[in-house]
Amino acid sequence: MPSQSKKLPATKRQFCTFHLAGHYFGVDILDVKEIIDEVTLTKIHHAPTEIMGFVNIRGHVHLVLDLRLLLNFSSKSVDESSRVLLFHPKVGESFGVMVDQIGHMVEVEENLIEYRLSDDSASALGRDYRKANLEKGVCKLQNKLLIILDASTFLNAVDFKR
Amino acid sequence: MNRSGIALKIILFSSGIVLFLMIIGCYMIIQYEVSVLNDMTDSKIAQTENESRVNFFREKKRFAAQIQSQLENIILIMKSFDIIYEQTFNSQIQMLLTQPMIMAASFCNQEEQSFIVSWKENNTIHVASQFPKDVNLDSFHIIKKQTGLLSISWVTVYYSTRLIEKEILAVKEIKIEELLQTRSDIYEQLKGVLLTQAFGTLIIIAVLCVSLMILLKIFVLDPVNELIEVSNQLKKLDLSVDIRTKFYSHELNELLQGLGKVLNGFRNIISDVQDNATLLSKSADDMTGIAEQLTNHSVDAESQSNNVAEASIQISGNIHAIAGSVELISENVQSVSMTSEYLFQNINSVANAIEELSSSLSHVGERAKKGTQIAEQAVILAQKAGETMNQLRHAANEIGGVSEFIQRIAHKTNILSLNATIEAASAGSAGRGFSVVAGAIQEFAEQSSRAAKDITNRIAGVQKGTSELENAFADVSEIIKEMNLSSESISYAVIEQTKAVQEIANNALEADERARNITFAIEDLSKTANNAAENTTQVALGANDVSSRIQSVSQTISFNRQISHQINEAAIVLTHLSGNLKDMVDPFKVRSDKQSVKNNESETLRKEKK
Repeated sequence: MPSQSKKLPATKRQFCTFHLAGHYFGVDILDVKEIIDEVTLTKIHHAPTEIMGFVNIRGHVHLVLDLRLLLNFSSKSVDESSRVLLFHPKVGESFGVMVDQIGHMVEVEENLIEYRLSDDSASALGRDYRKANLEKGVCKLQNKLLIILDASTFLNAVDFKR
Repeated sequence: MNRSGIALKIILFSSGIVLFLMIIGCYMIIQYEVSVLNDMTDSKIAQTENESRVNFFREKKRFAAQIQSQLENIILIMKSFDIIYEQTFNSQIQMLLTQPMIMAASFCNQEEQSFIVSWKENNTIHVASQFPKDVNLDSFHIIKKQTGLLSISWVTVYYSTRLIEKEILAVKEIKIEELLQTRSDIYEQLKGVLLTQAFGTLIIIAVLCVSLMILLKIFVLDPVNELIEVSNQLKKLDLSVDIRTKFYSHELNELLQGLGKVLNGFRNIISDVQDNATLLSKSADDMTGIAEQLTNHSVDAESQSNNVAEASIQISGNIHAIAGSVELISENVQSVSMTSEYLFQNINSVANAIEELSSSLSHVGERAKKGTQIAEQAVILAQKAGETMNQLRHAANEIGGVSEFIQRIAHKTNILSLNATIEAASAGSAGRGFSVVAGAIQEFAEQSSRAAKDITNRIAGVQKGTSELENAFADVSEIIKEMNLSSESISYAVIEQTKAVQEIANNALEADERARNITFAIEDLSKTANNAAENTTQVALGANDVSSRIQSVSQTISFNRQISHQINEAAIVLTHLSGNLKDMVDPFKVRSDKQSVKNNESETLRKEKK
């Protein structure tokens, strides 16, 4: 479901960046609705481990996912620098992800982004499949690489066993 | 056993000897009798043998005579016949041969040629004209006779005496056998006789011994026992013995009576001696006591006089010493007066020095007081500084809180700017300007956050410094307190010293005065000492005189003591002698037991008195 701006001939794109387990990730800024600090999580019992709980933002209830577990890192407790990224309803049902530390808003040229070739063959299975779908591409910055994630695939990656 | 020893020994010994002699005598008698018997039998045997020999010869002769007569008879018979027939010869010769002893016979003619012979062979009579050559006639006796007849001139008879011999031998053996038989019979009977003899003698000896013992006991042993008892008591020096004199033996009775008389005399003498010795020892004891008392008194007197003499000697010696020391004193006093002048001068200089010391000490005291005051001020200042430091720390803490607040605001601002950027991006190109503003705000937020961090770090440094400073101030104030304490003690000590020095100064002044007084007094003293020295010399002379007189007294007393000691010795010797006498006499027991007990009691009483 590509957004309209992507299709514009605009040569620049903006990403909302964040740090997760020492890596530098980014999502399209148009998918992000809001950044929240000071979260109070409400645990959901019998839910998959990737779902951390509900959060109440100004009367609306949002689901919070653990992006570390989705990306196959080990889980980490919430601390001072932890933030929640809430996404637009258009991306999926109202939900957000927990990140270790929020970064800057980055604006990059379109040509610096190298998209990952979508490989729809059935050989990609299990965790590889999940991870492969989460990553969209890589953006070359001045002295480091920015891994671009696709927010619309996050909910699908949750392993609902029931 | 001991008492009846002699008699028993005599009896046993004598009976033993008798027994021994008896046995020997019996043995000898037996021997003698046996030998006599043997001799008798032997002589009898010899006699029978002789008789048999004599008989043998007689028989032989008788037999030869018988044969002769027979032969003469035969010749007579022959002569009576005119004509002699051969049968006649035969019958005659056979008649001859019928006699058992005649073994052969022969008739010979004039030419001594036998014409008829007869001989016995195996109890058969053979008749022939001549003897065959195998007949041996040499062992037989021969009787040859001339007849005077023409036809028969010679008759020869051969006979043997063996039969006679045999007979006689048989008779002899029978006799000898009879003799031996009788001898053995006599032996048997003799044995019985000897046994009875031995028993009889033994019984006789036993009876003899018993009677001997009884007699010995009656006649010898009883008096001897009495004698032994008496001698035993005499051995214990017991003279109170009763001697019995009624015995069966007259000689011993006389002996005992004589002994009794001697004992009586001796007893009387000894009892007299004992009484005298008791009296003597009593008087000697008294004398010894008196002499001892005398000696004791004289010893006491001598010791006391000696003591007095020694004391007087000591006194005179002491007085001499006093005189010497008084002279020394007077000399010393002079030197003391000189020394006291020096002392006086020294004390003056000491007093001056002490006054100077006191003034300098008071100066020191003032300085110490000032030091104390300064220290107190320093303490107060240090306390004030500590309080200031505390305030400073509080302020720093507050600043820390403010900087945290600023940081939080910066975070919030950052998030706000991020959200603003997101909103601007969603607004698209219309929000581009707003996006720039949001970026500026973000930058601002970051800067403020960094500044707040910086402030926090610095304040932490300030806090550390203040805490160190506080500790240092605390140390300083403690040191100052110590200083204060020590300066206080210094000032106190200085005050005390000042007081002491003032006292010393006072004392020195007083000493000054006293020294002056001493100088005067010592001059007086030296004068008095000189006088005393003269006086003591005189006293010493007097004391010497006294001591010499006392010594002469003491000598006289010691002479007295020697005399009394001699008396005492003499008395002791007397006592000793009387004791010896008593000891010598005491063992003799004069009275019977009850009396002697009384005696002993009196003796013991006397010893206790001793």
